[in-house]
Amino acid sequence: MSTPMPLPRPTVSARRRKASAMRTSTGPLRWAATTLTWLFVLTSVAALVWMVLQAFRDTRAILDRPWGLPDQLSFDNFVQAWTVSDFATATWNSLWVTVVSSVLTVAVAAPAAYHLSRHDSRVTRNLTLFFVLGLGVPVQVILIPLFIMLNSVYLVDSLVGLNLIYIGLSMPFTVFLLTGFFRSLPTELEEAASLDGATPAGTFWRIMLPVAKGGILTAFVLQVIGHWNETLLALTFLQSTDNYTLPVALISFVQQQTYSGADWGGLFAGLCIIVLPMLAVYVWLGRRLTEGLTLGMGK
Amino acid sequence: MARPAPDVMTRPATATSGPAVTDTPTRGSAAGRRQSPADQRRRLLIPFVGPALILYTVLFVIPILAAVVISLHRWAGSGPMTWAGLDNYTTLVEDELFLQSLGNTLKLLFVVGGAIFVLSFALTLVLRDMAGRKIVRSVLFFPHLVNALVYGVLAGFVFNPDGLANAILRPLGVSTPQWLAQDNLFVLIMITMTWMTTGYYTTILMAGVDRIPPYFYEDAALAGANAWQRLRHVILPLTWDVFGVCAVLWTITSVKIFEIVWIFGGSSGNGIPPTKTWTAAVYTYATAFSGDSVPAFGAATASAILSLVLVTALVVLLRRVMRRDVIEF
Repeated sequence: MSTPMPLPRPTVSARRRKASAMRTSTGPLRWAATTLTWLFVLTSVAALVWMVLQAFRDTRAILDRPWGLPDQLSFDNFVQAWTVSDFATATWNSLWVTVVSSVLTVAVAAPAAYHLSRHDSRVTRNLTLFFVLGLGVPVQVILIPLFIMLNSVYLVDSLVGLNLIYIGLSMPFTVFLLTGFFRSLPTELEEAASLDGATPAGTFWRIMLPVAKGGILTAFVLQVIGHWNETLLALTFLQSTDNYTLPVALISFVQQQTYSGADWGGLFAGLCIIVLPMLAVYVWLGRRLTEGLTLGMGK
Repeated sequence: MARPAPDVMTRPATATSGPAVTDTPTRGSAAGRRQSPADQRRRLLIPFVGPALILYTVLFVIPILAAVVISLHRWAGSGPMTWAGLDNYTTLVEDELFLQSLGNTLKLLFVVGGAIFVLSFALTLVLRDMAGRKIVRSVLFFPHLVNALVYGVLAGFVFNPDGLANAILRPLGVSTPQWLAQDNLFVLIMITMTWMTTGYYTTILMAGVDRIPPYFYEDAALAGANAWQRLRHVILPLTWDVFGVCAVLWTITSVKIFEIVWIFGGSSGNGIPPTKTWTAAVYTYATAFSGDSVPAFGAATASAILSLVLVTALVVLLRRVMRRDVIEF
């Protein structure tokens, strides 16, 4: 085996360490790739920092020197966005819709996912499939029927209506994610609980929920992120300024500027109000999120 | 495992329930006051799964069925629906605007999709044994959590005539292009999409590559495999199913793309983006809710149903193409 090898090869394999076995390649190509990657990372971070910094400068300064730093820590743009442009109402609306719909989504989906994952029968298998099929349906399909349905019960232009939509729409993903999660938990706990005379409902409530806290939190935060950023449905269903959520408020703010001239300072402040809460959530729960979004998909 | 549980379960219960029950309780005697756990659990199907099922059915499944019905009618949202058969669909197939929107969606699906997969796979390989990979990965993933609107607005700042891009180019003496001209917009959207999505798929692929146990690489090194052979015979086969998942995910995601197009580069006067950048989702929304013309709910819904058909066909096709014998490791 070693005879046809080119000369340098045996010396490398002679120093066979785990590290060298894992290494893809060395040399200029790899060096360039690594440098490019770091450059890309730095640019991304710089873009975010730059965006936040611009929110503290007024529009004229931003346009004159886009690379400039803020002269002083001036919250004018934020105050302006918060009061005049009504981002305050929009933020509260977003917060309310996001939290309520995420809590309810998880509260409804967790027992369902638990039951579907733990009781294997034809019924539960078909139900699971029924839920999962919803994952492939693009939102625009149900946009118009939902609009008509909610219109007939006077829930268009209402945050309650939007909450309902979000809950219904989140079912496939949340049930899918949590079913996978509950399957990964050991069954011994439930058997022990059952031996101790706990009812199945009690087992779920007192034994499984505490154990499943991590997975449920992940599902919750993923919903928070999804609902905080959701735009198409909010744009369709919310019509009065009082009900706007942040993405809709941002769109309307941008549209006003076609007439009133660009207010980049205010715009950057608006962007920060949308982005920074996500950054906070990410810093807080980053690893859990990436795992939830990737491992949940891998199965 | 479920079998022994009922017997043990019922014994203490019947012992306390009174002298009438004999020492060896049967399921029948216990059923009067108390069901076996298996039965109890089965009864929990309705309280546990019921609410989720009802919400999902009413707010998701019924609207899908309703969409099919509406797409077969001519309807302005109020007033009578008139039966149109497949007219909406035949009109759509001849509608230049719809075909262009669908074409844009397909560009996002295939061109951006291809770029994302090449880039994220390359990144995965680079990151596999790079110092600081965790930091890099967290930074790359973050754009996925940011509303696509944000990128659209930022693009407006970077590419507007007085914007950042021209501010960089002008001192260099390069002629400044009309970035936000209608012909360029969609290309910029595609580039932005690639940039904001690559990190997410890199994270998924990395999770797949990380699952490969190191002895496979050691084995490959022992067999004298070079980098390319290792990629071809170890990494690719063992991450093939992850690629399949990513492809399905991107197919589903790309058909829904709406936000970034809606606001990209700032807004045009009437609030609707130039038609050259429309995607299928924008077409559906604009046809139904644009406010200018009489809303054509039938045609709009038909266009959405066609998107659904497209997704379904592609996912079925992908699953067939990507099917390989699963390698257990």
